[in-house]
Amino acid sequence: MNALMAARDESAAPLLCEGITKRYDGQPVLSSVGLEIPAGAVLGLIGRNGAGKTTLIRILLGLLSPDAGMAYVFGEPALNLRDGAMMRLGYVPQQPDMLAWMRVGEMLEFVGAQYPKWDRAFVRHELERCGLDPKRRLTALSPGEHQRVALIRALAATPELLVLDEPAAALDPVARRDLLREIALRAGESGTTVLFSTHIVPDLERVASHVAFLHNGSFVLSSPMDELAERYGRLVVPAAAVPVAADPLPGELSRRRRSDGTLAVVVARSPGAAWPLVGTAPQARVDALGLEDLFIEVTQ
Amino acid sequence: MDKDLLSILPAAPEPIYQQIAAQLRRLIMSGRLAAGEELPSVREVAGHHAINPMTVSRAYSQLEAEGLLDRRRGKGMAVAESRRRPLSDERRLEELDAALEDLARQARELGLPAARVLERLRGLLER
Repeated sequence: MNALMAARDESAAPLLCEGITKRYDGQPVLSSVGLEIPAGAVLGLIGRNGAGKTTLIRILLGLLSPDAGMAYVFGEPALNLRDGAMMRLGYVPQQPDMLAWMRVGEMLEFVGAQYPKWDRAFVRHELERCGLDPKRRLTALSPGEHQRVALIRALAATPELLVLDEPAAALDPVARRDLLREIALRAGESGTTVLFSTHIVPDLERVASHVAFLHNGSFVLSSPMDELAERYGRLVVPAAAVPVAADPLPGELSRRRRSDGTLAVVVARSPGAAWPLVGTAPQARVDALGLEDLFIEVTQ
Repeated sequence: MDKDLLSILPAAPEPIYQQIAAQLRRLIMSGRLAAGEELPSVREVAGHHAINPMTVSRAYSQLEAEGLLDRRRGKGMAVAESRRRPLSDERRLEELDAALEDLARQARELGLPAARVLERLRGLLER
Protein backbone atom coordinates (compact mmCIF):
# COMPACT_ATOMS: atom_id res chain seq x y z
CA MET A 1 0.00 0.00 0.00
CA ASN A 2 1.14 3.46 -0.83
CA ALA A 3 2.82 4.79 2.33
CA LEU A 4 1.89 8.35 1.47
CA MET A 5 -1.79 7.42 1.29
CA ALA A 6 -1.64 5.52 4.53
CA ALA A 7 -0.05 8.35 6.48
CA ARG A 8 -2.89 10.09 8.19
CA ASP A 9 -2.86 13.75 8.80
CA GLU A 10 -3.27 14.09 12.56
CA SER A 11 -3.50 17.86 12.31
CA ALA A 12 -6.42 17.85 9.85
CA ALA A 13 -9.69 19.17 11.22
CA PRO A 14 -12.13 16.32 11.90
CA LEU A 15 -14.69 18.08 9.70
CA LEU A 16 -14.09 20.76 7.12
CA CYS A 17 -16.07 22.03 4.16
CA GLU A 18 -15.70 24.86 1.70
CA GLY A 19 -18.10 26.48 -0.75
CA ILE A 20 -20.81 23.85 -0.33
CA THR A 21 -23.74 24.57 -2.62
CA LYS A 22 -26.74 22.33 -3.10
CA ARG A 23 -30.01 22.78 -4.96
CA TYR A 24 -33.12 20.64 -4.90
CA ASP A 25 -35.35 21.08 -7.97
CA GLY A 26 -33.50 24.28 -8.81
CA GLN A 27 -34.19 25.70 -5.32
CA PRO A 28 -30.97 26.55 -3.48
CA VAL A 29 -30.79 24.78 -0.09
CA LEU A 30 -27.16 25.59 0.72
CA SER A 31 -25.25 28.52 -0.78
CA SER A 32 -21.50 28.39 -0.51
CA VAL A 33 -21.36 27.10 3.06
CA GLY A 34 -17.97 26.82 4.75
CA LEU A 35 -17.28 25.25 8.12
CA GLU A 36 -14.35 23.95 10.12
CA ILE A 37 -14.76 22.00 13.34
CA PRO A 38 -11.53 21.82 15.35
CA ALA A 39 -10.67 18.66 17.26
CA GLY A 40 -12.39 18.45 20.64
CA ALA A 41 -15.05 21.05 19.81
CA VAL A 42 -18.74 20.42 20.34
CA LEU A 43 -20.56 22.31 17.62
CA GLY A 44 -24.29 22.80 17.97
CA LEU A 45 -26.00 23.42 14.64
CA ILE A 46 -29.35 25.15 14.78
CA GLY A 47 -31.69 26.20 12.05
CA ARG A 48 -35.40 26.29 11.45
CA ASN A 49 -37.24 23.39 9.85
CA GLY A 50 -36.03 23.04 6.28
CA ALA A 51 -32.96 25.19 6.86
CA GLY A 52 -30.75 22.49 5.31
CA LYS A 53 -29.15 21.04 8.46
CA THR A 54 -29.62 17.41 7.46
CA THR A 55 -28.51 18.15 3.90
CA LEU A 56 -25.36 19.81 5.21
CA ILE A 57 -24.61 16.92 7.58
CA ARG A 58 -25.07 14.36 4.80
CA ILE A 59 -22.75 16.33 2.53
CA LEU A 60 -20.15 16.72 5.30
CA LEU A 61 -20.08 12.95 5.72
CA GLY A 62 -20.00 12.19 2.01
CA LEU A 63 -23.47 10.61 1.94
CA LEU A 64 -24.68 13.15 -0.59
CA SER A 65 -22.74 15.00 -3.26
CA PRO A 66 -22.90 18.77 -3.32
CA ASP A 67 -23.44 20.70 -6.57
CA ALA A 68 -20.28 22.63 -5.73
CA GLY A 69 -17.69 22.70 -2.98
CA MET A 70 -15.72 20.08 -1.08
CA ALA A 71 -16.09 18.37 2.27
CA TYR A 72 -13.31 16.61 4.18
CA VAL A 73 -13.40 14.16 7.09
CA PHE A 74 -10.09 13.91 8.95
CA GLY A 75 -8.53 15.57 5.92
CA GLU A 76 -9.87 13.00 3.43
CA PRO A 77 -12.41 13.90 0.74
CA ALA A 78 -15.76 12.94 2.25
CA LEU A 79 -17.01 11.36 -0.94
CA ASN A 80 -14.27 8.69 -0.94
CA LEU A 81 -13.73 7.93 2.71
CA ARG A 82 -11.53 4.95 3.35
CA ASP A 83 -12.41 2.35 6.00
CA GLY A 84 -9.88 3.79 8.43
CA ALA A 85 -11.69 7.12 8.54
CA MET A 86 -15.10 5.39 8.75
CA MET A 87 -13.98 3.53 11.86
CA ARG A 88 -13.19 6.83 13.58
CA LEU A 89 -16.59 8.27 12.83
CA GLY A 90 -19.93 7.73 14.56
CA TYR A 91 -23.11 8.99 12.92
CA VAL A 92 -26.69 8.84 14.11
CA PRO A 93 -29.13 10.03 11.46
CA GLN A 94 -32.53 11.46 12.26
CA GLN A 95 -34.24 8.22 11.30
CA PRO A 96 -31.73 5.55 12.18
CA ASP A 97 -32.22 2.60 9.91
CA MET A 98 -30.62 -0.42 11.50
CA LEU A 99 -30.82 -4.00 10.33
CA ALA A 100 -34.39 -4.02 11.55
CA TRP A 101 -34.97 -7.77 11.40
CA MET A 102 -32.37 -8.39 14.12
CA ARG A 103 -32.66 -8.41 17.88
CA VAL A 104 -31.05 -5.54 19.82
CA GLY A 105 -28.21 -7.68 21.20
CA GLU A 106 -27.52 -9.42 17.88
CA MET A 107 -27.34 -6.17 15.98
CA LEU A 108 -24.91 -4.65 18.50
CA GLU A 109 -22.72 -7.78 18.38
CA PHE A 110 -22.77 -7.79 14.59
CA VAL A 111 -21.89 -4.12 14.27
CA GLY A 112 -19.37 -4.28 17.11
CA ALA A 113 -17.38 -6.98 15.38
CA GLN A 114 -16.46 -4.44 12.70
CA TYR A 115 -15.01 -1.87 15.08
CA PRO A 116 -11.54 -2.23 16.61
CA LYS A 117 -12.36 -0.08 19.62
CA TRP A 118 -15.85 -1.47 20.36
CA ASP A 119 -16.72 -0.99 24.04
CA ARG A 120 -18.72 -4.08 25.12
CA ALA A 121 -18.93 -3.02 28.75
CA PHE A 122 -20.47 0.29 27.71
CA VAL A 123 -23.13 -1.52 25.66
CA ARG A 124 -24.04 -3.84 28.54
CA HIS A 125 -24.12 -1.00 31.03
CA GLU A 126 -26.24 1.28 28.84
CA LEU A 127 -28.77 -1.41 27.90
CA GLU A 128 -29.19 -2.24 31.56
CA ARG A 129 -29.50 1.38 32.57
CA CYS A 130 -32.32 2.08 30.14
CA GLY A 131 -33.96 -1.27 30.80
CA LEU A 132 -33.68 -2.53 27.23
CA ASP A 133 -33.80 -6.30 26.87
CA PRO A 134 -31.19 -7.34 24.26
CA LYS A 135 -33.56 -10.06 23.08
CA ARG A 136 -36.15 -7.60 21.82
CA ARG A 137 -36.51 -7.17 18.10
CA LEU A 138 -35.54 -3.80 16.69
CA THR A 139 -38.90 -3.62 14.89
CA ALA A 140 -40.68 -3.83 18.25
CA LEU A 141 -38.96 -0.77 19.78
CA SER A 142 -40.66 2.56 20.33
CA PRO A 143 -39.13 5.52 18.47
CA GLY A 144 -37.41 6.66 21.67
CA GLU A 145 -35.94 3.21 22.35
CA HIS A 146 -34.85 2.99 18.75
CA GLN A 147 -33.01 6.27 19.12
CA ARG A 148 -31.31 5.10 22.30
CA VAL A 149 -30.10 1.93 20.63
CA ALA A 150 -28.79 3.97 17.71
CA LEU A 151 -26.90 6.21 20.14
CA ILE A 152 -25.48 3.25 22.05
CA ARG A 153 -24.34 1.78 18.76
CA ALA A 154 -22.59 5.01 17.73
CA LEU A 155 -21.00 5.67 21.12
CA ALA A 156 -19.83 2.10 21.73
CA ALA A 157 -17.49 2.38 18.75
CA THR A 158 -15.59 5.09 20.73
CA PRO A 159 -15.55 7.39 17.71
CA GLU A 160 -13.20 10.36 17.52
CA LEU A 161 -15.88 12.24 15.61
CA LEU A 162 -19.51 11.95 16.55
CA VAL A 163 -22.21 13.39 14.30
CA LEU A 164 -25.76 13.44 15.63
CA ASP A 165 -28.71 14.70 13.61
CA GLU A 166 -31.47 15.77 16.02
CA PRO A 167 -30.40 13.13 18.55
CA ALA A 168 -32.75 14.21 21.29
CA ALA A 169 -35.95 14.53 19.31
CA ALA A 170 -37.47 11.22 20.44
CA LEU A 171 -35.85 11.00 23.89
CA ASP A 172 -37.56 11.62 27.22
CA PRO A 173 -35.98 14.28 29.48
CA VAL A 174 -34.00 11.77 31.54
CA ALA A 175 -32.58 10.05 28.48
CA ARG A 176 -31.82 13.43 26.96
CA ARG A 177 -29.88 14.52 30.02
CA ASP A 178 -27.95 11.22 29.95
CA LEU A 179 -27.04 11.82 26.34
CA LEU A 180 -25.87 15.37 27.02
CA ARG A 181 -23.72 14.16 29.88
CA GLU A 182 -22.17 11.53 27.65
CA ILE A 183 -21.43 14.08 24.92
CA ALA A 184 -20.00 16.59 27.37
CA LEU A 185 -17.74 14.14 29.17
CA ARG A 186 -16.46 12.47 26.02
CA ALA A 187 -15.58 15.82 24.51
CA GLY A 188 -13.94 17.02 27.69
CA GLU A 189 -12.00 13.88 28.55
CA SER A 190 -11.34 11.93 25.38
CA GLY A 191 -11.23 14.96 23.10
CA THR A 192 -14.09 13.59 21.00
CA THR A 193 -15.25 16.07 18.39
CA VAL A 194 -19.01 16.40 18.18
CA LEU A 195 -21.39 17.93 15.67
CA PHE A 196 -25.04 17.86 16.61
CA SER A 197 -28.09 19.53 15.19
CA THR A 198 -31.01 20.34 17.40
CA HIS A 199 -34.07 22.48 17.96
CA ILE A 200 -33.70 22.24 21.71
CA VAL A 201 -31.71 25.34 22.48
CA PRO A 202 -31.04 24.77 26.21
CA ASP A 203 -29.41 21.42 25.35
CA LEU A 204 -27.03 23.19 23.09
CA GLU A 205 -26.26 25.83 25.70
CA ARG A 206 -25.25 23.14 28.14
CA VAL A 207 -22.82 21.15 26.10
CA ALA A 208 -21.80 23.06 23.00
CA SER A 209 -18.46 24.84 22.85
CA HIS A 210 -19.43 26.44 19.52
CA VAL A 211 -22.71 27.29 17.89
CA ALA A 212 -23.72 27.97 14.29
CA PHE A 213 -27.09 29.17 12.93
CA LEU A 214 -28.00 27.92 9.48
CA HIS A 215 -30.55 30.18 7.84
CA ASN A 216 -31.56 30.68 4.20
CA GLY A 217 -28.78 28.38 3.06
CA SER A 218 -25.84 29.91 4.89
CA PHE A 219 -24.46 30.57 8.34
CA VAL A 220 -25.88 33.81 9.71
CA LEU A 221 -23.98 33.39 12.95
CA SER A 222 -21.15 31.25 14.17
CA SER A 223 -19.36 31.74 17.47
CA PRO A 224 -17.76 30.10 20.48
CA MET A 225 -20.56 29.76 23.07
CA ASP A 226 -18.69 31.69 25.73
CA GLU A 227 -18.34 34.74 23.49
CA LEU A 228 -21.98 35.01 22.45
CA ALA A 229 -22.93 37.58 25.06
CA GLU A 230 -19.90 39.67 24.21
CA ARG A 231 -20.30 39.44 20.44
CA TYR A 232 -24.04 39.79 19.94
CA GLY A 233 -26.50 42.22 21.39
CA ARG A 234 -29.88 43.73 20.70
CA LEU A 235 -29.92 47.51 20.48
CA VAL A 236 -33.28 48.92 21.35
CA VAL A 237 -33.46 52.48 20.10
CA PRO A 238 -36.22 55.08 20.19
CA ALA A 239 -38.09 55.48 16.92
CA ALA A 240 -36.66 58.96 16.42
CA ALA A 241 -33.04 57.80 16.56
CA VAL A 242 -33.13 55.61 13.45
CA PRO A 243 -35.45 55.96 10.48
CA VAL A 244 -36.58 52.43 9.69
CA ALA A 245 -35.36 52.71 6.11
CA ALA A 246 -31.89 53.88 7.17
CA ASP A 247 -28.82 51.96 6.03
CA PRO A 248 -27.92 48.88 8.05
CA LEU A 249 -25.79 49.49 11.12
CA PRO A 250 -22.28 48.04 11.15
CA GLY A 251 -22.60 44.33 11.96
CA GLU A 252 -26.38 44.36 11.69
CA LEU A 253 -28.03 40.93 11.51
CA SER A 254 -31.70 41.83 11.76
CA ARG A 255 -34.02 44.66 12.59
CA ARG A 256 -37.67 44.97 13.41
CA ARG A 257 -40.06 47.63 14.54
CA ARG A 258 -41.51 46.79 17.95
CA SER A 259 -45.11 47.45 18.88
CA ASP A 260 -44.10 50.37 21.13
CA GLY A 261 -42.50 52.08 18.13
CA THR A 262 -38.90 51.42 19.16
CA LEU A 263 -36.57 49.64 16.81
CA ALA A 264 -34.77 46.43 17.80
CA VAL A 265 -31.56 45.78 15.89
CA VAL A 266 -29.44 42.70 16.49
CA VAL A 267 -25.78 43.52 15.91
CA ALA A 268 -22.55 41.55 15.90
CA ARG A 269 -19.28 43.14 16.98
CA SER A 270 -15.79 41.80 17.41
CA PRO A 271 -14.97 40.96 21.02
CA GLY A 272 -13.80 44.09 22.78
CA ALA A 273 -15.15 46.49 20.13
CA ALA A 274 -17.82 49.10 20.90
CA TRP A 275 -21.50 48.84 19.98
CA PRO A 276 -22.61 51.07 17.08
CA LEU A 277 -22.90 54.70 18.10
CA VAL A 278 -26.68 54.77 18.00
CA GLY A 279 -26.63 52.46 21.03
CA THR A 280 -25.52 55.44 23.09
CA ALA A 281 -28.43 57.66 21.98
CA PRO A 282 -30.66 58.90 24.82
CA GLN A 283 -33.05 56.13 25.97
CA ALA A 284 -31.29 53.55 23.83
CA ARG A 285 -30.14 50.36 25.49
CA VAL A 286 -28.25 47.20 24.64
CA ASP A 287 -29.80 43.91 25.76
CA ALA A 288 -27.78 40.76 26.21
CA LEU A 289 -29.65 37.96 24.49
CA GLY A 290 -29.96 34.33 25.46
CA LEU A 291 -29.30 31.91 22.63
CA GLU A 292 -32.95 31.24 21.99
CA ASP A 293 -33.87 34.92 21.73
CA LEU A 294 -30.87 35.53 19.53
CA PHE A 295 -31.92 32.67 17.27
CA ILE A 296 -35.48 33.96 17.00
CA GLU A 297 -34.34 37.52 16.32
CA VAL A 298 -32.03 36.63 13.47
CA THR A 299 -34.07 33.91 11.77
CA GLN A 300 -37.66 35.07 11.92
CA MET B 1 -18.78 21.14 48.53
CA ASP B 2 -22.17 19.91 47.38
CA LYS B 3 -22.53 20.02 43.60
CA ASP B 4 -26.15 21.07 44.01
CA LEU B 5 -25.01 24.39 45.48
CA LEU B 6 -24.57 25.47 41.88
CA SER B 7 -27.61 26.11 39.77
CA ILE B 8 -27.20 26.31 36.03
CA LEU B 9 -29.68 28.21 33.91
CA PRO B 10 -28.97 27.37 30.29
CA ALA B 11 -31.47 29.89 28.92
CA ALA B 12 -30.01 32.92 30.74
CA PRO B 13 -28.08 35.46 28.66
CA GLU B 14 -25.15 35.09 31.06
CA PRO B 15 -22.76 32.39 29.76
CA ILE B 16 -22.70 29.25 31.93
CA TYR B 17 -19.03 29.71 32.89
CA GLN B 18 -19.88 33.15 34.26
CA GLN B 19 -22.86 31.75 36.15
CA ILE B 20 -20.61 29.20 37.84
CA ALA B 21 -17.88 31.75 38.57
CA ALA B 22 -20.35 34.26 40.02
CA GLN B 23 -22.04 31.67 42.25
CA LEU B 24 -18.75 30.33 43.57
CA ARG B 25 -17.48 33.86 44.13
CA ARG B 26 -20.52 34.63 46.27
CA LEU B 27 -20.21 31.37 48.19
CA ILE B 28 -16.55 32.06 48.90
CA MET B 29 -17.01 35.71 49.81
CA SER B 30 -19.88 34.95 52.14
CA GLY B 31 -17.76 32.27 53.80
CA ARG B 32 -20.16 29.43 52.98
CA LEU B 33 -17.18 27.89 51.28
CA ALA B 34 -14.35 28.15 53.76
CA ALA B 35 -10.64 28.63 53.06
CA GLY B 36 -9.04 25.28 52.25
CA GLU B 37 -12.32 23.60 51.32
CA GLU B 38 -11.99 21.39 48.24
CA LEU B 39 -14.14 21.93 45.20
CA PRO B 40 -15.67 19.04 43.28
CA SER B 41 -13.59 18.05 40.26
CA VAL B 42 -14.34 19.47 36.84
CA ARG B 43 -15.60 16.07 35.79
CA GLU B 44 -18.00 15.81 38.73
CA VAL B 45 -19.51 19.22 38.10
CA ALA B 46 -19.72 18.67 34.35
CA GLY B 47 -21.26 15.21 34.76
CA HIS B 48 -23.70 16.29 37.44
CA HIS B 49 -25.06 19.23 35.48
CA ALA B 50 -24.52 17.70 32.00
CA ILE B 51 -22.42 20.62 30.85
CA ASN B 52 -19.20 20.88 28.89
CA PRO B 53 -16.16 20.30 31.17
CA MET B 54 -14.32 23.12 29.43
CA THR B 55 -16.98 25.49 30.73
CA VAL B 56 -16.31 24.36 34.30
CA SER B 57 -12.52 24.59 33.82
CA ARG B 58 -12.89 28.08 32.50
CA ALA B 59 -14.85 29.18 35.59
CA TYR B 60 -12.31 27.57 37.92
CA SER B 61 -9.38 29.16 36.09
CA GLN B 62 -10.98 32.56 36.26
CA LEU B 63 -11.42 32.27 40.04
CA GLU B 64 -7.87 31.03 40.34
CA ALA B 65 -6.68 34.13 38.48
CA GLU B 66 -8.74 36.26 40.88
CA GLY B 67 -6.97 34.60 43.79
CA LEU B 68 -10.12 32.97 45.17
CA LEU B 69 -9.08 29.39 44.38
CA ASP B 70 -5.78 27.54 44.67
CA ARG B 71 -4.88 24.72 42.31
CA ARG B 72 -3.57 21.85 44.40
CA ARG B 73 -1.14 19.45 42.94
CA GLY B 74 -2.99 16.29 41.95
CA LYS B 75 -5.99 17.25 44.03
CA GLY B 76 -7.88 19.80 42.01
CA MET B 77 -9.10 23.10 43.31
CA ALA B 78 -9.63 24.41 46.82
CA VAL B 79 -10.73 27.73 48.24
CA ALA B 80 -7.59 29.86 48.57
CA GLU B 81 -5.89 30.00 51.96
CA SER B 82 -5.75 33.80 51.63
CA ARG B 83 -9.55 33.73 52.09
CA ARG B 84 -8.94 33.36 55.82
CA ARG B 85 -8.61 37.15 55.93
CA PRO B 86 -12.00 38.82 55.59
CA LEU B 87 -12.56 41.01 52.53
CA SER B 88 -13.04 44.75 52.69
CA ASP B 89 -16.61 46.07 52.55
CA GLU B 90 -15.65 47.81 49.33
CA ARG B 91 -14.67 44.53 47.67
CA ARG B 92 -17.80 42.74 48.83
CA LEU B 93 -19.93 45.66 47.71
CA GLU B 94 -18.53 45.29 44.19
CA GLU B 95 -20.24 41.93 44.06
CA LEU B 96 -23.59 43.68 44.26
CA ASP B 97 -22.84 46.13 41.44
CA ALA B 98 -24.66 44.19 38.74
CA ALA B 99 -27.78 43.69 40.86
CA LEU B 100 -27.75 47.34 41.96
CA GLU B 101 -27.36 48.62 38.41
CA ASP B 102 -30.32 46.50 37.41
CA LEU B 103 -32.33 47.84 40.35
CA ALA B 104 -31.43 51.41 39.43
CA ARG B 105 -32.50 50.85 35.83
CA GLN B 106 -35.84 49.38 36.86
CA ALA B 107 -36.44 52.21 39.31
CA ARG B 108 -35.77 54.76 36.56
CA GLU B 109 -38.07 52.94 34.17
CA LEU B 110 -40.81 53.05 36.78
CA GLY B 111 -40.14 56.76 37.29
CA LEU B 112 -39.64 56.31 41.05
CA PRO B 113 -37.90 59.02 43.10
CA ALA B 114 -34.57 57.81 44.53
CA ALA B 115 -35.61 58.58 48.09
CA ARG B 116 -38.56 56.19 47.97
CA VAL B 117 -36.45 53.39 46.53
CA LEU B 118 -33.72 53.88 49.13
CA GLU B 119 -36.30 53.94 51.89
CA ARG B 120 -37.73 50.63 50.71
CA LEU B 121 -34.27 49.13 50.32
CA ARG B 122 -33.29 50.23 53.81
CA GLY B 123 -36.44 48.58 55.14
CA LEU B 124 -35.48 45.31 53.42
CA LEU B 125 -31.90 45.47 54.66
CA GLU B 126 -32.85 46.11 58.25
CA ARG B 127 -35.58 43.50 58.33
